[in-house]
Amino acid sequence: MSSSSPSGTGDDLSERRGIPAAKFIQDVETYLSQSSLDSNSALAFHQERLQQYKVVEMKLLAQQRDLQAKIPDIEKCLEVVGTLEARKGTGEALLADFEVSEGIYSRACIEDTDSVCLWLGANVMLEYTCEEATALLKNNLENAKASLEVLVADLQFLRDQVTVTQVTIARIYNYDVQQRRVKQVAPTAITAADS
Amino acid sequence: MQQQGKSSGSEMEVTWEDQQNINTFSRFNNRLHELVDEIKFAKEKCDNLEDAGNELILADEEMVRFQIGEVFAHVPKDEVETRIEEMKEATIKSLEKLEQEKESLVLQMAELKKVLYAKFKDSINLEED
Repeated sequence: MSSSSPSGTGDDLSERRGIPAAKFIQDVETYLSQSSLDSNSALAFHQERLQQYKVVEMKLLAQQRDLQAKIPDIEKCLEVVGTLEARKGTGEALLADFEVSEGIYSRACIEDTDSVCLWLGANVMLEYTCEEATALLKNNLENAKASLEVLVADLQFLRDQVTVTQVTIARIYNYDVQQRRVKQVAPTAITAADS
Repeated sequence: MQQQGKSSGSEMEVTWEDQQNINTFSRFNNRLHELVDEIKFAKEKCDNLEDAGNELILADEEMVRFQIGEVFAHVPKDEVETRIEEMKEATIKSLEKLEQEKESLVLQMAELKKVLYAKFKDSINLEED
């Protein structure tokens, strides 16, 4: 598939981030004669395309679920850092009950502090000042939300292609049914004329 | 996709405009299902905040354990009340916005249904099954 840069409206794209667009067929008969396919092969081709689209859709939906779980996590972290920052000037310690293990909680006394540690993943934790931590978390939140938007747009494009393909399959099927009916009528007409 | 049924074998010309209408209807329908879930979630959150507020009035402790992130911080009762009020207002506002979006979506879908049924009559099925 040639990689055209995705720009403009979704209708003009021949593909989007690796997902090929489903070509809209103006007229079934012309399409079948141009591609020199018979109805069954055309149907098989489009069915396979549909399956491929479904596979990609599953993948995108899984990515969407992951992102949708990540965003509230980041927001929670931001809330905690915000609370610590708000307490900074007062000098009083923050008493917090946290979960040590499932069902077991313990009390922590968090002194007035300037820094927090952030878990970055891959067994790495770094210490930041409250401002730096807030900035980093906000940045992560922005990126996650932007990725989610792109993903949602991809899913919409994909679903459009699925719809186009389903309608195409229906039309080719109807065309085929029609052709068979015509063929059935024609021989009976000839036999009626002979007798 | 549960909404689109197969045509019943009659000769129907499908133009690009028709295809786009069908695509748009499908998008609207998906968004409607998402909205229904989001509205349900927001309503539950509202109810929970309401219950929390009521519990707070009945409680006689000065310090309340209020969940911030993953931990429960010891916060004075008044501050908790204020926070719960703020959260309730924010949730109600977002619930209103979601309901409005849902209404407008339902109207647009009804319009599209009229157009598509006019063109395709029996050959298309746009109902939930």
